[in-house]
Amino acid sequence: MKFSRKIFTVLFVFCIGCNSQLDQSPIGQITPGQIDSSPSAQTIESSVNSSYQLLSNTLNIIGNWNWSEGKVMRNDFILQDIAGGDMNKKWQPDGDQAWMDRVASFNFTSTNQAFQGMWSYDYEGISRTNRAISDLTDQDIMSKVNMDAALKDRLLGEAYFLRAFYYFDLVTNFGDVPMILEPLQNFNNAFAKTSRVAEAKVWDQIRSDLSDAEGLLPDQKYSSQSEPWRVSEGAAMAMLAKVALFNKNWQKVIDKVNELENTGYYALDSNYFSNFSVDKEYNESEVIFSYNHESGKTPSKGNGLGALMGWGFIAPTQDFINEFEDDDPRLNYTVNVDQKVIYKLLGSTTDKYKGNADSPGNKIYIRWADVLLWKSEALIQTGDYPQAIAIINKIRERARTTPTIDGGQPPSGTLPDRNPNSTDKAQIMGWLRHERRVELGFECHRLNDLKRWGVAQDVLTSMGKSFKSYNKLYPIPQSEIDKSGGEMKQNPGY
Amino acid sequence: MTTNDMIERIGILQARSARFIWTLIFLLCLLANSSAGFAQNKKVSSFNAFKHKLLSMKLQNSSEAKLNRRIQLKDGQYTLKEIVNEIANKAGLKFSYSKQLIPVNKKVNVSEETLMTKEALWKVLKGTSLRFGVSGSGQLFLFKRNETKKEQDLNEAVTGIVTDASSGQTLPGVNILVKGTSRGASTDSKGHYEVSVPSLKDTLVFSFIGYKKQEVPIDGRTEINIQLQAQAISGEEMVVTGYSNPINRREVTGAVGTVSTEDLDKRKVSNVSKALEGQVAGVQVTQSTGAPGDAVQIRIRGEGTIGNNNPLFVIDGIPSRDISFLNPSDIKSLDVLKDASAAAMYGSRASNGVIIIETKKGSAQKSSLNVDYYSGLSHVTNLPNMLNAQQYMNTLETAWDNSGYAGTNPYTKDKGRSDFANTDWLAATFGPGYTHDIDFSTSGGGDKTNYYLSSRYYSEDGVVVYSNDKIDKINFRGNISSDITNRFKIGTNTQLSYSKEDNLNSRGDTPGIIRHAMLRPPVIPVKKDPSNPYYSKNDPFTDLPFYNGPNDYESSKYELTQNPVALAYYSDDVIKNYRLFGNAYGEYRFLKNKNLKFKTNLGVDLNFYHHKVFNKNFGDDDGNGLPMDSGLGRENRPNSISENRQQTVNITWSNTINYEKQIGKHNIKGLLGTEFVSNRVSNLSASRQRFDFTSDNFRYIDFGNTDLGLTNGGTGSEWALFSYFGSISYNYNKKYMVKANLRADASSRFAENYKWGYFPSFSAGWMISEEKFMQGIDWLSQLKLRASWGELGNQEIPNYAYLTLLHRNLAGQYQVSRYGNPNLRWETTTQKNIGIDVLIADKVSLTAEYYNMLTSDILLPITLPEVVGEVSPTYVNSGEVRNKGLEFDLGYENHINDFHFKINANLATLKNEVEKLHPNLPAIIGEVTRTEPGHPINAYYGYVMEGIYQNQAEINSHLHGESNPSAVPGDIKFKDLDGNGIINSNDRTFIGDPHPNLTYGFNFSGEYKGFDFSIFFQGVQGIDRYNDGKKIVDYDTRPFNYTTRVLNSWHGEGTSNTIPRVSFTDNGGSRVSSIYVEDASYLRLKNVQIGYSLKSLINNQLSPLNDVKIYVSGQNLYTFTNYTGLDPAISELKDYGTYPQSRSFIVGINASF
Repeated sequence: MKFSRKIFTVLFVFCIGCNSQLDQSPIGQITPGQIDSSPSAQTIESSVNSSYQLLSNTLNIIGNWNWSEGKVMRNDFILQDIAGGDMNKKWQPDGDQAWMDRVASFNFTSTNQAFQGMWSYDYEGISRTNRAISDLTDQDIMSKVNMDAALKDRLLGEAYFLRAFYYFDLVTNFGDVPMILEPLQNFNNAFAKTSRVAEAKVWDQIRSDLSDAEGLLPDQKYSSQSEPWRVSEGAAMAMLAKVALFNKNWQKVIDKVNELENTGYYALDSNYFSNFSVDKEYNESEVIFSYNHESGKTPSKGNGLGALMGWGFIAPTQDFINEFEDDDPRLNYTVNVDQKVIYKLLGSTTDKYKGNADSPGNKIYIRWADVLLWKSEALIQTGDYPQAIAIINKIRERARTTPTIDGGQPPSGTLPDRNPNSTDKAQIMGWLRHERRVELGFECHRLNDLKRWGVAQDVLTSMGKSFKSYNKLYPIPQSEIDKSGGEMKQNPGY
Repeated sequence: MTTNDMIERIGILQARSARFIWTLIFLLCLLANSSAGFAQNKKVSSFNAFKHKLLSMKLQNSSEAKLNRRIQLKDGQYTLKEIVNEIANKAGLKFSYSKQLIPVNKKVNVSEETLMTKEALWKVLKGTSLRFGVSGSGQLFLFKRNETKKEQDLNEAVTGIVTDASSGQTLPGVNILVKGTSRGASTDSKGHYEVSVPSLKDTLVFSFIGYKKQEVPIDGRTEINIQLQAQAISGEEMVVTGYSNPINRREVTGAVGTVSTEDLDKRKVSNVSKALEGQVAGVQVTQSTGAPGDAVQIRIRGEGTIGNNNPLFVIDGIPSRDISFLNPSDIKSLDVLKDASAAAMYGSRASNGVIIIETKKGSAQKSSLNVDYYSGLSHVTNLPNMLNAQQYMNTLETAWDNSGYAGTNPYTKDKGRSDFANTDWLAATFGPGYTHDIDFSTSGGGDKTNYYLSSRYYSEDGVVVYSNDKIDKINFRGNISSDITNRFKIGTNTQLSYSKEDNLNSRGDTPGIIRHAMLRPPVIPVKKDPSNPYYSKNDPFTDLPFYNGPNDYESSKYELTQNPVALAYYSDDVIKNYRLFGNAYGEYRFLKNKNLKFKTNLGVDLNFYHHKVFNKNFGDDDGNGLPMDSGLGRENRPNSISENRQQTVNITWSNTINYEKQIGKHNIKGLLGTEFVSNRVSNLSASRQRFDFTSDNFRYIDFGNTDLGLTNGGTGSEWALFSYFGSISYNYNKKYMVKANLRADASSRFAENYKWGYFPSFSAGWMISEEKFMQGIDWLSQLKLRASWGELGNQEIPNYAYLTLLHRNLAGQYQVSRYGNPNLRWETTTQKNIGIDVLIADKVSLTAEYYNMLTSDILLPITLPEVVGEVSPTYVNSGEVRNKGLEFDLGYENHINDFHFKINANLATLKNEVEKLHPNLPAIIGEVTRTEPGHPINAYYGYVMEGIYQNQAEINSHLHGESNPSAVPGDIKFKDLDGNGIINSNDRTFIGDPHPNLTYGFNFSGEYKGFDFSIFFQGVQGIDRYNDGKKIVDYDTRPFNYTTRVLNSWHGEGTSNTIPRVSFTDNGGSRVSSIYVEDASYLRLKNVQIGYSLKSLINNQLSPLNDVKIYVSGQNLYTFTNYTGLDPAISELKDYGTYPQSRSFIVGINASF
């Protein structure tokens, strides 16, 4: 029996040895503890930088050719311009990516991937800004990393702005939305966070974030001279004006735009196309906020719309082309119907970036002409018609003084001034609507404009779309409602 | 000392303990040797030796079993009649005799002892000329040894030893008959026989119940040693259940299914998993695709969990999750442990069932060499009928007209184009496939050492054109065991294997070759005309339709499908696996009677994996791409290479102690053990874009022309498992049996407080046929009732799932990749099983089982709402799934004169239902499925097709609510489940069940003289599949090709109520609906084989050849099904159009020496 005693000894010793093998450290994996225990200024700055990414047109920022969930690229051109009747999916109708056509005709269901994609891009952006804000406002972490106070303020300002920007997009598209303002501590909380918060509260949060951003960002045109693409104080002020506009807080719009005007940062470029030209990026005076696309970066920072255009995507509707007055130079900068190229989205008046998934043209989100037209709209609403008309005429003047795409001058009499003495509000409002459509075509503002003006149903049904009153809000993505476990309710009508 | 201190101390101990263990083992070996020597010196009674042999011998039918029954004799002197009668009574036999036969006065002295009935009979009949026999009905009779001639008349005597071919144990009681005479003898307790024969030219016939009869020509020899091959009687096979000796099926109290190797030899399978197909009730085997080398999915008793449902394989005692590397002809036995009691010893990882695989061992005293070669030809079957060019053009015109598009119809003007082809893309994509298999094996041994060596080369080239769908495998196996002393045994089973798999991207959405072969318009030719300016010798294939330079609109008019023939041609995607899998073990038997056995078994599984893909650029320049890549074709632009190398080291060490004790009719077995499993994986990968030279010589990372797009990566992971287990079983007289098991496992995959899981099980069996009240029922050879209850575990989740993990993206930013769940713990399956085993007249066996298993705390990956950002699903313990069903296995074996035949049939029912889910998660949503309490896992979920809208009035009345996407006549009409006149997400419901209600298999095999024949059917009933292939060919909005089904599509009121109008706008076909859920039940004639043995033509004396057999077989010969996809037997929930199974014919030859 002494042998068996030996065996038991062997087994016993062996067991203890093995037991300690069970505490496996996570090889090749990073846990939050490792980051939090040794944060660096670099990781914190990179988390702010990564918060911008969801605003890009770069392909496959999330997902990989995930057409079925609408995540190949940011879908705002579908939700605004295709749905708004300015843009066709393709130059030649076909059945490719038919879900986009269903958005175009308002024949969609809540499972349409256009909504899921938009939702995912915005909330992923919010998730990244939340992490950045959480680190930047954490005293412990900030005292460890020894970050320059000015840099910290600037980064925090950028993050607040971006969070507000994503929420602005959500609230205008979907109405009441879940509001998440800090990183998720425990996965279990994810479900509780899916309940929708009243629109007004989301607007409050947006205003609060933007005011914080305005206060934190440096008092200069570019937040960083070496990185002019960063969110600036001007961008925060402009967004505050836009928020006021969408809430019909007309006086606030006028005040905020005036305040921005007084900084002297921005002016209309003499040439309409300077806004979009790759050669002029950050060397013109009109663009307030844009996403900086660049070629040949790893990971890619290119503009994926170039690839889509190569496949025949993005074409003007006839209705959109018809909107342009005779000889308006802006038409040919927007679209070359013969060559089937959208110049203003490619950033070039040739087709050299068409078909290139990594093209450099920036995505313009806010520019001075847009801001001026907000003010004009607010002035109309407050009854200050002469000033409103003056702004419209300023925009028209710049347009008609822009050389035509082939370098000539438009014939005299092109884009004449609107009658500065008109007091017919409907007429003036009509001028404004026309001007916004041709000036800002394909810049992802169209459906929001129509909704804000309360004319979406009239305009869109007259184009043969089956727009119903409840279509003012898009449906919450069905998959998200399903995942929330009944916490999230659908918008009425869907 | 605090716990933490303890743990720290243990950590220090650990390093020392490893050295200590090895020292101890070494010492143990030394001691074992010396003690074995000691034991040899002691006189071991022949009785003990005999008993040992009998124990390990196969048991025969019930009468024979009674001869093995242990009885007690009392001191005294008896008459022969008295004592035989006494013995018969004690054994439960009826004694009948003739008065003339029994010498009345013969007295026998008996001393008190306990021995087996037959031993007792031999003892008392010693010195008489009497022999005994038993009939099947339990009659004991005496007869006189045949003595027609006097001993001295016989001129020769032949002697020898008869042994069991597989175990090498000697066989007592074997009958030996001189052929054509009634003269004979039987072997004694040591298996020795001596028989007098009239001439050395005679033939001896050896027969023994439970073994195959063997005729041996004497050929002048005076010593003939014979090995008898066991012939398994249904219900009597030996069953391997793990960690202990094989036990007789009679003693099994759990649910165990066995695949006989005899059946295995009759079907030539490329993969061991396929040997299980249709063989055991409740085991469902599906090949994910028909592509060479593609994975095979095995489900035992359905899907108990939502994640990984693969069973655990245990190969020669070493657990593994994969058996694709095994050589099917090396397999000795396959046992499927289905219930908790049977699988209990593998508790922690056994919840999906366990398959125990033993490889062949050498046998003593006989060497053999076996060579098998076969060659096969296969071709694809069951392809859909696609439209030809003219039908296609007509359909496109109709679709355009139906779409309401403005402008000229672009397809009308193409009609009659001279450059149109009429290509049958499916025919162009498939061709013949070839299979070759050559297999050598040799086995043999001596008194102490046995060996089995085998090698195999297998090559299969699939049915897609060009040889880029191919697998080559090389296997080598060496199994050696040796008795160092009569107590100490060591051995090793080692397999080396290499496989090289040429992959085709044949399944999935893009770029699935099969899918493109269905979609590609027939108007495009396979190759460009050489006069075409874009033709090149290096790339003669068509790509974009009617290509006319970059950005040409004509090119995309017929949609951007890829040329499947070109994809097959340019594919260069090779996976190589180098694997070493084996174990080394030592076994030592303690105690006088060797009842206590210690075994240590060390297993190593090393896998080196290499995946290399070269994506060669080809196709037409579509104007896209970066400026630096301008002018390149659109496929694989720019060309690139990627390589991934991975190494896995998996170590298993188990130590067990087995104890067996018999006290009278009480039999006790005990088992104690520990097991340690450690797994480490690391990988290294690199990729590069833009190669100037693309010949094979330059398809390496070094030869790229720019550093742009040069990446590398590497990572690692590890997990470990440690377990204690014990088992005790008791039976009374093999009539009443109980067994209890407990396994405790600790897994590194769970957080500190949740590492340990405890898995108990109990089972009991009652051999009713042994009861007195059953004795009169002669036809019933065996009737056993079994019941078991037990718990099993599952830990098949990714490593570190309890931790929140971040990843660093290429821009250097840290992002959450998965939120962790620190409370993650073991998933547990509680299983109840009731079974009955019936054996009728030793010919018909029936096993029936009922099981009911509940999997709780299911390890469930739940996708968080996207409001928290893009993260991988978090694992939680949540929900309960119940599986229940009935299983029947039926066997029948008989012969009509020389025609021997065997039937095996099995059938299983299954009901799968989710009973509970996570509180935050009322349902798990898949693309086309939904998992929800009250329904099966992954049930199909969507809209219900009601018909086709015939006219506007029908639409108006059906869609009276406000918010519908508009519909036009000819569109699919979905059921408005809530009746609100709106078809929205509330109108979705459960539309199909992907789990079979019934699975079954039927085998018939027969032998007549030299011929053998077998036929095998297998089927599945009551299963649904989502046919996504149908969606993209017949219901897509793009101008892909269609099947001929669309020729009957709706084209006006009353024309069709099943197939909607063809259209480039949505006709309702984009929704997930019942239109794509099809009944995928099938019955398949899997295999027919006919063989002929040339044995009768072989001159035994001159040739070393023992037997030559030639055979032909056909596989997947016919499938009965209503399913319209390529193959109803696929494992994926969504059928994208997979690589189909092919029909193949095989011719082979097998020679043994």
